[in-house]
Amino acid sequence: MPVIGVTWWDLERLLGRDLSREEIEDSLPRVKCELEEIEGDTIWYEATHDRPDLYSAEGLSIALKGLLGVEEGLVRYNARDEGVSAVVEGPSYRPYALFAVVHGLRLDDEAIRQLMQLQEKVHITYGRDRRKVSIGLYDLRGIKFPVRYIAVKPEEARLVPLDMDEEMSLKEVLEKHPTGVKYRHLLEGRPEFPLIVDAEGKVVSFPPIINSEEFRVTEETRDVLIDVTSTDLEAARRVLAIVATAAYVRGEEIGIVTVKGPWGSEASPRVEPDAIDYNVELNEKLLGLSIGVEDTVRLLSKMRMEAEPRGDTLTVRFPYFRTDILHPVDIAEEVAMAYGYDRIEPLTMKPLHPGREAGIEVFTRSIRESMVGLGFTEVNNYMFTSTNLLFTKMGIQGEAIEVENPKHEAYHALRTWITPQLLQTLSSSKHAGYPLRIFEAGDVVIPDKDADNLSREERHLAYAVAGRGVTLTDGLAYLKALLNLYSMKYTLKPLQHPSLIPGRAASIHVGEAEIGFIGEVHPRVLTNFALTVPVVVAEIDLGALRKAYLSGREK
Amino acid sequence: MSGEGGYGAPILGPVYLPPRQKRIVDEVLRGAASVDEVAERLHVKREDLMRDIEELRARGLLRVEKRSRAYYELTGEAQKYLESGLPEARVLMVLEKAGRPVKREELSSEAERLGVRLSPKEASIGVSQLARTGALKFTPEGIVLGSPEKAREAVSKTAEALRRLKSGKPVDEKVLSELRRRKLVIRRERAELLLSPTDTLRFLEERGMIKVGRVITTLTPEDIESGAWREAYFKPFDLSVEPPTPSYGRKHPYLEFLDWIREILVSMGFEEMKGPHVELELWNFDALFQAQDHPAREIHDTYFVKGRPRGRFSDAEYMERVARTHRDGWLTGSRGWGYEWDPERALRLVLRTQTTAVSMRTIYSRGPGEYMCFSLDRVFRPENLDAKHSMEFYQLEGIIVGRHVTFRHLLGFFREMARRLGLGEVKVKPAYFPFTEPSVEGFIKHPHLGWIEVFPGGMFRPEVIEPLGLKGFNVAAWGIGVDRIAMTVMGIDDIRLLFTQDVEWIRSQPRPLIREMLR
Repeated sequence: MPVIGVTWWDLERLLGRDLSREEIEDSLPRVKCELEEIEGDTIWYEATHDRPDLYSAEGLSIALKGLLGVEEGLVRYNARDEGVSAVVEGPSYRPYALFAVVHGLRLDDEAIRQLMQLQEKVHITYGRDRRKVSIGLYDLRGIKFPVRYIAVKPEEARLVPLDMDEEMSLKEVLEKHPTGVKYRHLLEGRPEFPLIVDAEGKVVSFPPIINSEEFRVTEETRDVLIDVTSTDLEAARRVLAIVATAAYVRGEEIGIVTVKGPWGSEASPRVEPDAIDYNVELNEKLLGLSIGVEDTVRLLSKMRMEAEPRGDTLTVRFPYFRTDILHPVDIAEEVAMAYGYDRIEPLTMKPLHPGREAGIEVFTRSIRESMVGLGFTEVNNYMFTSTNLLFTKMGIQGEAIEVENPKHEAYHALRTWITPQLLQTLSSSKHAGYPLRIFEAGDVVIPDKDADNLSREERHLAYAVAGRGVTLTDGLAYLKALLNLYSMKYTLKPLQHPSLIPGRAASIHVGEAEIGFIGEVHPRVLTNFALTVPVVVAEIDLGALRKAYLSGREK
Repeated sequence: MSGEGGYGAPILGPVYLPPRQKRIVDEVLRGAASVDEVAERLHVKREDLMRDIEELRARGLLRVEKRSRAYYELTGEAQKYLESGLPEARVLMVLEKAGRPVKREELSSEAERLGVRLSPKEASIGVSQLARTGALKFTPEGIVLGSPEKAREAVSKTAEALRRLKSGKPVDEKVLSELRRRKLVIRRERAELLLSPTDTLRFLEERGMIKVGRVITTLTPEDIESGAWREAYFKPFDLSVEPPTPSYGRKHPYLEFLDWIREILVSMGFEEMKGPHVELELWNFDALFQAQDHPAREIHDTYFVKGRPRGRFSDAEYMERVARTHRDGWLTGSRGWGYEWDPERALRLVLRTQTTAVSMRTIYSRGPGEYMCFSLDRVFRPENLDAKHSMEFYQLEGIIVGRHVTFRHLLGFFREMARRLGLGEVKVKPAYFPFTEPSVEGFIKHPHLGWIEVFPGGMFRPEVIEPLGLKGFNVAAWGIGVDRIAMTVMGIDDIRLLFTQDVEWIRSQPRPLIREMLR
């Protein structure tokens, strides 16, 4: 989740009052922000994905005003119709664009930094790294309305991109400008690129890539044009409300632009609140708190909302920049946060029924305890491993569930058996001395085209005995002792297995079922693991063994 | 009278001693009064006797007294004189052989002429020593031997004293102080152990009850059956010797800790649920109302099965409910995410990133009701393996389903869980998870790390549970990264150790008992 840096004095400037360290520590968690650290004058906090409006000092100051009682209820906008329009005729793959104007800004270095941070953080998160939403801010001076959001051929338009002093074609921007290179995948294979131009055809911006240097926002900027382009109209509205509100916090007046697009015509940005109905019963039903209508209204006011009672139901109005209010439960959370999580008395749930472990876990634990009793040390390996270990080093062919995007070549496939990891463990534990007896009971995943998830899971027991003089007999002695503890008889059949020495390997059968194998590891395989002592291994399907055990008991 | 054995035990019968201890006892009874004396008589080194002496003392047979005793050690000069003769002896020899007065300064050259080694310095020492006895006369012609007898007597007395001291025998005080003055001997002190028989020893000895027994190191069945043990001496063990480590089996400490966690959950009334590691995106994300473009569903946060195969799911009705919920909220009262949900995407296979997928499957199959379930299994996330991060870890997941389950019950579960694990007070803060509202993060106080997040949870959103058929029900849900709690209990700070391939490390770990469960 994004980490946001704001400056203490700037926040105080926006709040219009002093802010103590205690107030910071107390308030941030109440809007789900986690204070990371205060470094000199900079306050670092982690904000959540559902509250992009808190990704800068401006939005945070609105929330803090409510919590600190400086200003409660809805944000009141000073807005007027700008009397201008914007035409949206963008490419079909990014069809939406919305515009807003904000007047009377007073910007300094810190203010610009905050607005840039807001853009950047919203881009990465809610904007899905600009794929879904991208934002632009421009100095309004020299921009003639109506502005137009259009689709052009890559070679048709030229602009001086931010931080450059030469004019480039859109294609060149994608090839040469660092931001162009970083985001060109968003336009890959598109015959037409999005572009924002003013009434005179001057290029304002090349969304979602870069703005024109000509309209850069500086400390001298007093009026700004804001644009949001998007693949999702509603997301664009919310984000524009966030950015326009942030600029407005540092300015005097919002100018409403009439945006004309294929979906219709709308006044932009949205300064009227959104609304949702909330039945205060939910306080009791979901939160377990008996908070009445009046208190709910008061609490929501602290969260910068306004609730109008109609019996038990409230019409809750909330600012349009809130992207997180989808359902009345989201209002319930606001009530709980305003009330204070730390004030909510925990209630212990009485057991609804006797608890129970999964049968396979009970059986596995019994087997593990038996193995410990036989003198084995339990080991614990990742299910994640490599096909090199599972198959190549074991001298066999095989298939495993692999992942598309491994982080490390040693961990790219789910194990189909445990034995290879036991050999790896022996190899890493030579300093422990011999004889070594180890085991692991765990899950393996076997590809299975017939299964709904194309795989089948088995719970396996694998054990290994290693040391000078160890032979198959040692392995068999433990097998016999183990199964004896469950009054189970087994039979062996000779087994040809490339990982095991011919004539010293067997499949293990209980009743009709084949449940596993046992054998001396082939010296060729031992060499692959840099092992220089004989090793006997056995691997048993505990699911099959459990089944055999249950059917044996029933007879 | 009956003797008393060591450690206060009465001696009722004969005492069997190993041969050497018997010999020591015999020598002490014969009058040997110190360890040194016994050592000399037995022709062994004093150090070799110490264990036996200590044992005889402990058995109440010998009295041992420590005393410090002075002894005299010859200096290097004295050692030399013992070999080449005292300077005064050599001067005497020169004067006798010369048979005439010899000038002091000519003594050395005269000695050389006579084949006697005598340096001028030695000559000077020798002359002054002989002069002290009054045996010399000093005449203008030179030194004359006045009384050869006196001189010989003095010389032989000194030489004899040196020889006696070398073999540790006493010498006359006067001579001794003279030798010390001449720096031929140095006084040293040594601790001496004086030995004497106890009454018990005398009592037993008088009755012939001190016997030599066979030494038994390892008791054999034959010794026991034949009764030979009665006449044997059991070699005592040196308790300061480090014993060898036996080969033993044990549970893996982390898995043993997880066994305890299971026990706690079961005792709280939770039933265990199971689900597959290779999971449909449907259960891992879509059912949880995580929009299909949610960042957690990208390759940075989720492992996708290679080849992007699609799994199968046949309940078209449920799929439709999920599609509607994502689009416009369906009948849940939600706004939805406002996009066209892709059922093909939901069938893609991932390694589950959260066992919440298991909760989804459980609620899907059990439907409405009052129940509590948990799962304790592994999940996968694309992380680089280091001390703090792992691409595979255990998650402790749980749900409480019921008509009257509220957020307070979730907080109650956290408090109870922390109490049972002995984690102390839980501090709760608002949090965000896409599938719960309200959401909460519970913190516990770690002795070194301060407040750490261990209990994330929340109430499943209606968009999650209503498509699963739960209308009018609440579900409190939590998914705890149990590794962190385990590391706190086990006192380790590297997550990789939970999956180490070092058997020696596993064996060396203390068993992870949860203290609170022992109270």
